[in-house]
Amino acid sequence: MNRREFIVLGGTAVTLATSGIAIAADWPSKSVVVISAYPPGGTSDIIARIVADLLTAKFGQQFVIENLAGAAGALAGGKLARSAPDGYTILISGSAPLAANKVVQKNLAYDPQVDFTPITVVAESPALLSASANAPAKSLQELIAYAKANPGKVNIGNPGAGTKGHICAAIIGLESGIELNHIPYKGSPPLLADLLGGHIDFALDAPSNYLPHIKDGKIHGVAVTSAKRIGELPEVMTVAEQGLKDYNQTLWFGAVGPKGMSPDIVSAINSAIKEWSDTPAAQAKLASLGLTAVVNTPDQMRASVEREIETLIPLVEAGLVQPS
Amino acid sequence: MDIFNGLLLGLSTATTLTNFAYCFFGVFLGTAVGVLPGLGPIATISMLLPFTFGLPVDTGLIMLAGIFYGSQYGGSTTAILMNIPGEASSVVTTLDGHEMAKQGKAGRALAAAAIGSFFAGTVGTLFIAVSAPLLASLALTFGPTEYFALIVLGLVTSMVLTSGSLLTAFGMALFGVVLGMIGTDVNSGAARFTFDSVNLLDGLDFVVVATGIFGLGDVLANLENERSRTATVAPVSSLFPTADDWRRMTAPILRGTGIGVLLGVLPGAGVLLASFSAYALEKKISKHPEQFGKGAIEGVAAPEAANNAAAQTCFIPMLTLGLPGTATMALMIGALVVQGIQPGPEILTQQPALFWGLVVSMWLGNLMLLFLNLPLVGLWAKLISVPYHFLFPVICVFVAIGVYSINNSVFDVYMMALFGVLGYFFKKVGAEPAPLILAMILGPMAEEYLRRALLISHGDATVFFSSPLSLGTLVVAFLLLLSIVSPRFRKVREEGLQDAD
Repeated sequence: MNRREFIVLGGTAVTLATSGIAIAADWPSKSVVVISAYPPGGTSDIIARIVADLLTAKFGQQFVIENLAGAAGALAGGKLARSAPDGYTILISGSAPLAANKVVQKNLAYDPQVDFTPITVVAESPALLSASANAPAKSLQELIAYAKANPGKVNIGNPGAGTKGHICAAIIGLESGIELNHIPYKGSPPLLADLLGGHIDFALDAPSNYLPHIKDGKIHGVAVTSAKRIGELPEVMTVAEQGLKDYNQTLWFGAVGPKGMSPDIVSAINSAIKEWSDTPAAQAKLASLGLTAVVNTPDQMRASVEREIETLIPLVEAGLVQPS
Repeated sequence: MDIFNGLLLGLSTATTLTNFAYCFFGVFLGTAVGVLPGLGPIATISMLLPFTFGLPVDTGLIMLAGIFYGSQYGGSTTAILMNIPGEASSVVTTLDGHEMAKQGKAGRALAAAAIGSFFAGTVGTLFIAVSAPLLASLALTFGPTEYFALIVLGLVTSMVLTSGSLLTAFGMALFGVVLGMIGTDVNSGAARFTFDSVNLLDGLDFVVVATGIFGLGDVLANLENERSRTATVAPVSSLFPTADDWRRMTAPILRGTGIGVLLGVLPGAGVLLASFSAYALEKKISKHPEQFGKGAIEGVAAPEAANNAAAQTCFIPMLTLGLPGTATMALMIGALVVQGIQPGPEILTQQPALFWGLVVSMWLGNLMLLFLNLPLVGLWAKLISVPYHFLFPVICVFVAIGVYSINNSVFDVYMMALFGVLGYFFKKVGAEPAPLILAMILGPMAEEYLRRALLISHGDATVFFSSPLSLGTLVVAFLLLLSIVSPRFRKVREEGLQDAD
């Protein structure tokens, strides 16, 4: 009965042995494990699955997803760092295990800048600062003015301590010299509920969950964190446009392999993802998830990782983000 | 669109051959994973989620929903027969359900659970159709302060659940709170009680602890008297509820349904709070509170009705606001988002076929479950007369698979074994584990909401008394606490315990 179906389905997630050094020319001669650092259904996992499907179609070997969620991606990152660099194990994930964890986690078992081989960034999304219906400010300037007049009184929710939403808000506070009261939640849904119910005034989070409510007029879009405005909310100005010069923060998702992976295999995967991301179908698919395709080169990805880590260091020094 | 047209549209969506077939597949699978100890709906839905990406969105959601409420039916089966709660919400079902099974009334307990669930499911579905949009906005008035008060009430009621010593129950609840604190602190990100182990950073999973303490602990205890055990289980008497059973369970089912329907709407602990609030209420108003924990059919019917009603109505905040009340609901949102549908206030106008189709399919699914489960009652009840030396290895294998499947983690299997030993110890010293499990879930929630409420109010604790909802709930909790420790109540309890001796 269905117990058997289960085991078959579950079995696809079981690690496949990846021993021996493969010759790049033969790659891939067997199935490839794609580690997904977050649980099924979340944005990071959906991207990993989309990329695994396109690589399966491109190379004619199965790219099998293995979900290894936990400790903000640190378990998945550790697993990749311990894997053989033979091209049969890669990791596709949001940026925490690829960069931020190096600064925000004290006992990280690997160094993302040393133990990983960058392949490419796949997609990115801005974060969105939104305000409840009865919030004391509807623009970033009003928010800064209000916070200066009422120090420490501005409540701003984020989807978890050390998440991108928290970091984006902490940078706004640091650069504009205001004191914000950061309130961490367990993910977006409870944060959105409290914003809709007016229990909290502001939230800084990925936009997708908030868009329908902004269109409905129940909450307000205050600012987007990327360098450019976003298509879904053309009237909402960027943080930079509202006075914080050069402010540009995005959530991004990328693919990496273990240290010492063959440049030929890196380049083969990079080109396959690039080729796919140029198609309108791929762009429509990513847009439906609130994302933009940004496939770049391994060197550009290395720079993204470095930039992310360097942004965090002053926040940790100022005590705004506490490593754990 | 009015309700009548909506239901017609839903009927035409839900009765297409594909949707009907996937609804059946979903509830069948749900029953099966509910029956298998350890393997719960969250693990099942996570595994099947990628499979739904290739299905039409309504079909996929209908199937996933079927797995979810189907497992609420199936979960009671292991709780009653083997004392293993598959889901947090069936913890209280073990208290009287397993006692009934030991007395040879397994069939009657299972039938009471199935009938209660079906009635509650029907009412819950109807309730969604009538009042979904209205209730969703009502649920938003619950902020951190109100949730905190509700959870305090939950923690207090968890101690009413036991039949043993109050001090032991309090100690077990306290231990549960400590277990719940293991892992990364939400507010500061600091690691607590993790002993530098990466495996503990995300805390202990409820299923790991519950299957260890209840499931393995029970296996260990049963093996102690394996030869004489057959004598302790009375032969299966009647399979179906007697006239007296019907009389005793009708009102509890009605009350359980009411509690479940209302609490299910609250995002957060809806289903869990519903099942044990219903149990606590029945015990409180019963003329024979001393029978609870010793095989009272009210103690099975009411929480089972409540958890199934809540399993239906917890779709309301998910569908109408995009707010998942449980981890399972979060996965369903994932299933919708992948297909380009953002659950939210516009879903009723933009996706009427999806909304009404799901509502109607839930009722059809509940009907299927009744026909699936009632004939099986005889079969399940026979399971308990299988010689234990055949049964216990199977239980061990399934709980190990179930626990492993949550995170693909061998560490979790070791943890379960450890809690199995602990469960055996609790049994030996006569400490009931139900308050521990509930406190382990509710403790961290209480902390999270307390700290959030205080952060938002800038440290002003009077917010808990200035909100009428919160004040009212806290007063009820206080009165309940007073009644537990009052001499009169203690006397009733002690008399009850003496009767049992």
